[in-house]
Amino acid sequence: MIVQLFPTCLVNEFHPAAGMSVARVLERLGCTVVLPEGLTCCGQPAFNAGFHDEARQVARHILGVLARTDGPIVIPSGSCSDMLVHQYIELFRDDASASAAARAVAVRCREFSQFVAERGGIHAAITRPARVAYHPSCHLMRGLGVRRQPLEIISAIAGATSVPFDEQEECCGFGGLFSIKNPEISASMMDRKLTAIDACGADRLVSCDLGCLLHLEGGLRRRGSAIKVQHLAELVDEALE
Amino acid sequence: MATPRGRGTEIMSDARDVILGRVERALRTARIPAAITHEDADRDGSGDPEQVALPGVALPRTSLQERFVLEARALGVEIYVEPTRAAVCDRLRTLVAGLRVLSWNPTLLPYGCGAIVDGALLGSSPTAEQARAEIGVTACHGAIAETGSLALIAGPGCSPTVSLLPPVHVAIVRPEDLFESMGGFLDARAEAMTQSANCTFVTGPSRTGDIELSLTIGVHGPGRVAIVFGPSELRMKNSRSTNSSS
Amino acid sequence: MSGGFAERARDALGNRQLHIALDRTTAQLGLRRATGLASLERSDAVRDRARAAKMQVLRTLPDSLRQFEARLVENGARVHWADTTADANRIIVDIAMTAGVRRVAKSKSMVSEETHLNGAFERAGIAVVETDLGEYIVQLADDRPSHIIAPIIHMTREQVGRVMEQRLHVPYSDDTQTLARYARERLRDEFLRADMGLTGANFGVVENGTICLVTNEGNGRMVTTLPRVHVALMGIEKLVPTMADLDRLLKLLARSATGQKLTAYTTLVRGPRRSRDECGPEEMHVVLLDNGRSRILAGETAEILGCIRCGACLNACPVYRSVGGHAYGDVYPGPVGAIVTPGIRGLAPFAELPSASSLCGACREVCPVRLDIPRMLLALRREAVERTPQPAALRLGLKVFARVASRPRVYRVAAAFVRRMLRGRARGGWIRRAPGMASGWTRFRDLKAPAAETFESAWRRRAAAARKS
Repeated sequence: MIVQLFPTCLVNEFHPAAGMSVARVLERLGCTVVLPEGLTCCGQPAFNAGFHDEARQVARHILGVLARTDGPIVIPSGSCSDMLVHQYIELFRDDASASAAARAVAVRCREFSQFVAERGGIHAAITRPARVAYHPSCHLMRGLGVRRQPLEIISAIAGATSVPFDEQEECCGFGGLFSIKNPEISASMMDRKLTAIDACGADRLVSCDLGCLLHLEGGLRRRGSAIKVQHLAELVDEALE
Repeated sequence: MATPRGRGTEIMSDARDVILGRVERALRTARIPAAITHEDADRDGSGDPEQVALPGVALPRTSLQERFVLEARALGVEIYVEPTRAAVCDRLRTLVAGLRVLSWNPTLLPYGCGAIVDGALLGSSPTAEQARAEIGVTACHGAIAETGSLALIAGPGCSPTVSLLPPVHVAIVRPEDLFESMGGFLDARAEAMTQSANCTFVTGPSRTGDIELSLTIGVHGPGRVAIVFGPSELRMKNSRSTNSSS
Repeated sequence: MSGGFAERARDALGNRQLHIALDRTTAQLGLRRATGLASLERSDAVRDRARAAKMQVLRTLPDSLRQFEARLVENGARVHWADTTADANRIIVDIAMTAGVRRVAKSKSMVSEETHLNGAFERAGIAVVETDLGEYIVQLADDRPSHIIAPIIHMTREQVGRVMEQRLHVPYSDDTQTLARYARERLRDEFLRADMGLTGANFGVVENGTICLVTNEGNGRMVTTLPRVHVALMGIEKLVPTMADLDRLLKLLARSATGQKLTAYTTLVRGPRRSRDECGPEEMHVVLLDNGRSRILAGETAEILGCIRCGACLNACPVYRSVGGHAYGDVYPGPVGAIVTPGIRGLAPFAELPSASSLCGACREVCPVRLDIPRMLLALRREAVERTPQPAALRLGLKVFARVASRPRVYRVAAAFVRRMLRGRARGGWIRRAPGMASGWTRFRDLKAPAAETFESAWRRRAAAARKS
């Protein structure tokens, strides 16, 4: 089947390797991966900051690009998925045709782990055993209701063990612009999360959101930690090789 | 409707009109989301997602009492279950021995317990005296099994002070007083509650966790609550009862 | 961060003892809530129905208020309407003066904090004492409550002991039983001497004019039983349609707040004493306060008026858990406070509050009536952008962002520029000090250097190579 891949701006600019891993995993699932022409950013920074006209400007462009495509739209980010699935409809409440376009796109969107699970999951084995701390990003878990799928994917990798840690479901403190507008509070939340991860004995930190990962990895480096940080797709990709 | 009567109340009814007017206008632009229901809300398709037991099937009294005792004990309430009237009276006699007693009107206490508190302070006694009582004795208007609560409806002879001022509260409860839930009580006793200014559900002793969340029992209300269950009165009243369901 | 909240938050973050207190107590309360909800059968259905009841009240608020008033009057209570906080205080002080009240005993009422009622009493020469233990200590310490249901969550027992030693002239103790006993002894006298009892109202039942008070200590019962005047001060939104709805909300309130199935005392007041009663107030007054609630109702955040003040959102909120209640700068802290405070006090002085959130949604998850707090925070952020001054750099930056992100070719060029600039500052793939707005980031964490080549470029290369082969 043909799937459209929306890499997201963070993956595109900061960590293309995660995008490559996503594509390879999708191909292993039998999908033909297409990258639509003209994707930029879903507009969440403007939306979250309260600049809704600006967010609409970007959203219209994205909807235009995606409306010219067919099939599932796979997004390796819980927050960007939530933006397209829930918030575009909210943004265009007062515009009937844009609303309809938003709805049509929303039903096609799948976050990466959600899609993999719907396709029956993937079985793989990792060469070096991995003790994985899984950080459930907030928009993924609470916005989209995707809780079990990433953990199931990790369990399906022979050699990978999911290691629970204290207050695992608490926000990591990234929150997009929140991390810059409220840096001390963001850092305090990050510290809590990293202390718990340090204490649990994991050697890897995995999540489905690059924003959370950039934030947490940046913090781990500051602490001199050796924990390896990966997007879930990279873990799966590594196991498939 | 508040009728204007003099300057103060004119201002008041102006405020009323202003507020109600504003509220009416607000509703034109108010964003009040539509109802949401969750998938498991009506899992068994019984039509009423909140129903726990099927309507019309009342749980037998003994299991209601067991449930009540479980809940109340978990709250730190002392429970005594006595098999006969005489035993109830004996228990009460022991509990009040040597203490200054404040009581509901003795005629309102079941199992002939009134005799034990003959001469006690009553709700009609001066408050300052009631405040020096060391134990308060009541019956109840309902005992809620789901939460281990006692329902006390205020009225002549059933003053709220009795279950509030003394440091100890004893309630004499009959199995007939049991209700499964507060909802059931509110339905059954709606009329009695209409006649009264105050109904209180007492769920265990007075407590606070305000200081570092550490539990302290007995702040302003009684720190010790005891409940004495007696036998079912129904069986006693019906001398030709064939089969007692309990 | 800049402004009142920012400074207070910074202070709070530097307060190690507050950090310990908050961490421990919010975690405890969160755990208790989870246990409490788990013991509620069909909790999802109860929550749905409870939410529906609160939303129904809002949709029919004018008629609900009229009906509630009519029932109250039938019950023998007097009903007063207060537009502003000053009105509420004036009305209540007038009631007190008319009735010759010299001493007031207060059970917990957040709305009375909103109106600064105690100050009004004091200015009128009327003695007023808080009887809720936490509020009593707050009053003694000249402090402010920092949590909706646990007002002194920010104080240690040692601090409480010192306050009592200084203000009550009792021997210092840090034993909580002893401290509670000090309060009990002092306040018992107040209950017996008070002329007026002042309460809030957890719920007002429209169908019969019942006022429901939910307490653990017994002070709610004391002040509605002993003094000859009872005044209940409540917001116009605190209504529920029927007793059946009250039952549903009572199933949720204590469980969500402390994990208890019910608090020690659930009191249903239905007017002043009846003629044959042996005790109870001779006069009962209900003061209905607007103070911005009708304005909240008119907009995107109307839903917040369904809040039942359980405090669950505070305990779940990672921001509240980090900074505590005082940082929010007004009566209601936490997620609910971030929406209510701008509503009742105005957005301009409190525009920082809706932004002090990562929108994690934990609040919505634990709210017994499922209020969509993140949605409302976003709506307030939009309103802040429309109506309050924004930093010029941010406004310009996001306008540029919108333009660029809707033009892919421009976007590619601009992104390439930013990537190159950031990569120039990187060592080993990481930046330790980022420029400009991003410097907030690198104060606390390293910034990963952007990739030399974007995913899109690499992907197109790979696709082109595949076509050639």
